[in-house]
Amino acid sequence: MAIARQAEPSGSLDEARDAGLDREDLFQIYRNMLVTRGVEERGHILYRQGKIPGSFYTGRGNEAAAVGVASAMGNDDVGTPLHRDMGVHITRGVEPWRIFAQYMGRADGPTHGKDGNVHMADANLGLLAMVSHLPAMLPVAVGCALAFRIREEKRVAVAWSGEGAMARGDAHEGMNFAGVRRLPVVFICDNNQWAYSTPTHLEYAVEHLADRAQAYGFDGVVVDGTDVLAVYREAKRAIEKARAGGGPTLIECQTLRMEGHAVHDDAFYVPKELFERWAERDPIERYRTWLRENAEMRDEEEEEITAHVKKLLSDALQRADESPQPDPATLTDGVYATPEDLDTPHHK
Amino acid sequence: MATGTAVDVVMPQMGVSVSEGTITKWSKQVGDHIEADETLLEISTDKVDTEVPSPASGVISEILVSEGQTVDVGTVLARIGGEAGAAAAAPAEAAAPPEPAQAAAPEPATQAAAGESEAAATELAAPLAQPAQPVAQENGKSFVSPVVARIASEHGIDPAQVPGTGSGGRVTKKDIQAFIEAGGQQQAAPAQTVPTQAPAPQAPPQAAPQAPAPSREPQAPGSGETLEPMTAMRRGIADHMRRSLDTSAHVTSAIEVDMSKVVAIRQKLKKEYGAAYGVNPTYLSFIARATVETLRDYPWVNGEIRGDQIVSKSFVNLGFAVELTDGKGLIVPVVKNAETLNLLGMAKAIADVAKRARDKQLTPDDVTGGSFTITNPGGYGTFHGTPVISQPQAGILGTYAIVKRPWVITDDNGADAIAIRSIMNLTLTYDHRLVDGAYAGRFLRDLRERLQTWGEADY
Amino acid sequence: MAEKTYLQAISDGLRQEMRRDKRVFVLGEDVGVYGGAFKVTLGFQEEFGAWRVIDAPLSETAIMGGATGAAIMGLRPVAEMQFADFVSCAWDHLVTVAAKQRWRAGTPVPIVLRLPSGGGFSGGPFHSQNPESSFAHIPGLKCVCPATPEDAKGLITAAIEDPNPVLFFEHKHLYRRIKGEVPDDRYVTPIGKARIHQEGDDVSVITWGAMVYTAEEAAKQVDASVEIVDLRTIMPWDRQAVLDSARKTSKVLVLHEDTRTGGFGAEIAATIAEEAFEDLDAPVKRIAAPDCPVPFSPVLEKAFIPQVDDVARGLKELISY
Repeated sequence: MAIARQAEPSGSLDEARDAGLDREDLFQIYRNMLVTRGVEERGHILYRQGKIPGSFYTGRGNEAAAVGVASAMGNDDVGTPLHRDMGVHITRGVEPWRIFAQYMGRADGPTHGKDGNVHMADANLGLLAMVSHLPAMLPVAVGCALAFRIREEKRVAVAWSGEGAMARGDAHEGMNFAGVRRLPVVFICDNNQWAYSTPTHLEYAVEHLADRAQAYGFDGVVVDGTDVLAVYREAKRAIEKARAGGGPTLIECQTLRMEGHAVHDDAFYVPKELFERWAERDPIERYRTWLRENAEMRDEEEEEITAHVKKLLSDALQRADESPQPDPATLTDGVYATPEDLDTPHHK
Repeated sequence: MATGTAVDVVMPQMGVSVSEGTITKWSKQVGDHIEADETLLEISTDKVDTEVPSPASGVISEILVSEGQTVDVGTVLARIGGEAGAAAAAPAEAAAPPEPAQAAAPEPATQAAAGESEAAATELAAPLAQPAQPVAQENGKSFVSPVVARIASEHGIDPAQVPGTGSGGRVTKKDIQAFIEAGGQQQAAPAQTVPTQAPAPQAPPQAAPQAPAPSREPQAPGSGETLEPMTAMRRGIADHMRRSLDTSAHVTSAIEVDMSKVVAIRQKLKKEYGAAYGVNPTYLSFIARATVETLRDYPWVNGEIRGDQIVSKSFVNLGFAVELTDGKGLIVPVVKNAETLNLLGMAKAIADVAKRARDKQLTPDDVTGGSFTITNPGGYGTFHGTPVISQPQAGILGTYAIVKRPWVITDDNGADAIAIRSIMNLTLTYDHRLVDGAYAGRFLRDLRERLQTWGEADY
Repeated sequence: MAEKTYLQAISDGLRQEMRRDKRVFVLGEDVGVYGGAFKVTLGFQEEFGAWRVIDAPLSETAIMGGATGAAIMGLRPVAEMQFADFVSCAWDHLVTVAAKQRWRAGTPVPIVLRLPSGGGFSGGPFHSQNPESSFAHIPGLKCVCPATPEDAKGLITAAIEDPNPVLFFEHKHLYRRIKGEVPDDRYVTPIGKARIHQEGDDVSVITWGAMVYTAEEAAKQVDASVEIVDLRTIMPWDRQAVLDSARKTSKVLVLHEDTRTGGFGAEIAATIAEEAFEDLDAPVKRIAAPDCPVPFSPVLEKAFIPQVDDVARGLKELISY
């Protein structure tokens, strides 16, 4: 028996306007989704060409959930996105060439080769770099919200988790603390139905993960994760509620992970019909259709966006390729911070 | 992106724990044009099967790995653009082998080739480590701690002269400091300080262990005895000899060889080689040449036991035992890929290692990797011996003095007559774990045959 | 200057910093209303308010993860594990996130984690451990172990000032037993510098924490001039001071309350052997607890924690070598 509220699907252009999005914003969202997918598709090719070491993860199918939430964050808000949330990095303004450099382990990537794939973030853009242990960053995001509360700042932290990671104590302990102290944090659960090869019925026993919010003293919402404007609407509502002192919300975005856990996994365990059904709900296709039908996106406008994205990515790839390999002599640099390191936007 | 220079196509790593991949299908052939990102081949790993997109546009110039082959991640599979040069990875080259040393005079020092003695004695190529043990202590425990050894050496003091108050009468730091302060005697210490330098790696023969730690309890010489410390090389030889005898089942077979033909041909070639190439075709080079040919038919004599496996080699890395000046030891430089050398090449190679051994220019590479060894215990006239095999090889050939003897020969009509022939003994000492007597016997028989029937056209 | 207990010194140092810098706040279990399980933060919530002295839920993850996030956002949390032994519940956020964030993402995490550690009062296996070597082993963390009240105040100040995660091991058994002169004003004891507790010529004892006092007592029982080096910081440790002392006396005893195998003394002994080999007149000796959990019964605990007699015996062996 479900407890959490089911979100309405996205509506008309007017509704979008009411939610605070003008036509330019709507196109920017589309652009961000295309760049997100483009970065990951190109990365996938690079990986199979042997140019990206290690393993390669994508969030194919999660573009709407990631871009939708990130578009609802304020400039001074912070977040802890995960490996299906490339859309968050793109929306917040991380340049694609740096993402390619990161993938390839080059010196100019955000971690200068010290960490790989999506384990990166630009603190200046309000993002914290994820770790492999999930959802370890959830209590950290709660800690950020704690700082906002202590300093009485009108800022919000957004914490991401997958549906599998919600099985760990970190999720419980973080959400409990946030609920107890009514901290300004919004929890996003990317439920893409598969934690590697483990389906949802082996991860949780409630009908919706969002139902658990009640156990922590706040509200839960379930939303169609392929509907970018619905995601935006719910995220905006929750973020502003937190900002106003109303405490946390748990938003569960439902999608399907359209590729394997990593690209070396062919996801044979996912029934083919499931892939086929969700392919028809491809978030980018859906939104494109919506834009054409509701926002009267014209051919030239669409072509301009597509061409822009294509050029952006090919320039990015070239620039990343020119970035040098990291110098082994720098290996143990930066293990310890110096007082100068405290000169960040957060430490003023 | 079109390319001017060749672009490598490598086996990608499809997953963190994946270390190799198999090519299941090439979608293109050499000479085909391909666009960047177009599928070039399909691979299979233990995690997933996938297509590999081309990293560049261009014409495929080489395909290096074929369908069905499994290679490590990162292996170059093909090349696009650039010159269609063969990326031959073939390493095997008979690059100028280290010059073989003169095996100490197979030329008999006695009758046959008077005055032909190549300088038998060569100096050790590598610097010998100085003897490095502390001198025997005479009071109580002979142990000298690191700090006491250092202070002793800094002040030129023999710790044996210092009264010790430490445990067991050992000299403590305070003891030696007090001794110095009281104006203790300075002695020119014959021994050096704590052994800090290890013997140079070239010094010991192949695979010999490094010098062991200095002895803790050397004894005083008895009446009429003198003591000298073993050099690092001597210790190395001692260890290797002991270990070799403990490892292999040493058996020796001997055969007599009528070297008359070789003697005659050598006379002729000496002038020609000397004039044209500045090289002396020594008896050793003939024997070496014939040995290498014969080893081809008896690979186990050139083989090795490794654990439970028998190793056969397609190459012959031929070692030549060289005696050092004043009989202080021996070194065995190796001529690599001797099977690729003809008589002239062999003579040159041997002359070269001899010179380099004399000039102390042998490198560690020159004295390792041998698969068979030739030694000449007969340089001083002996006619038989049982050399020790150089581990991990399976055999060692001993050559001895060529001596003119009365010999029974049978002419074409079957009549026996006595003639004076140059006869040389050869011994093969072999590891009976691998090589049996009959096998060794046949090897020697065939070797003798080659030497006895050496034709002028044989090189 | 005033005479204070070790506990009072920590409390004073913390209070002084919270008055000086409003970014500093305390986060732990029972730290607010109750004043802390050991009363280190007694009176703090009254002075600084409930949002600067925060009673966390019973969740080391929330405390450690929360402190990490708050520090990244510019605050200076002083988090507390009620007993050092509970740090194992906070391992992930300390080691996985806090320790590595600067190195891999350029983001400093300026937190202090106070850890009441050590045994000697029948605390049993879960209230008596000295886990400093585990964390000294993790690149990115700093570990300090003050022995005197003066150093306790100076080091808590230094820890708060440091832009890295600093683990502050306060030895519970010293809280009220040890008193000393402590300056009233603010001062910083440098992290990474040892202190010569007493000078000597014949043998060096390298130690920290409560064992400094055990060494001091043992030294009185031997007929030799014993030098005692109080490391004060375990990571980064003062190699130069230790090597200087080793070269001076040529005989070294490394002493710690933590268990022997893999205890931090192993690192010190290995370094001395590697770098001062030619200065040694005896092998480097280690005295530490045996390799077992901390026992509860007083008879057993006495056999576990290195006693004055054990250290005196070790010193005598070294001296007569």
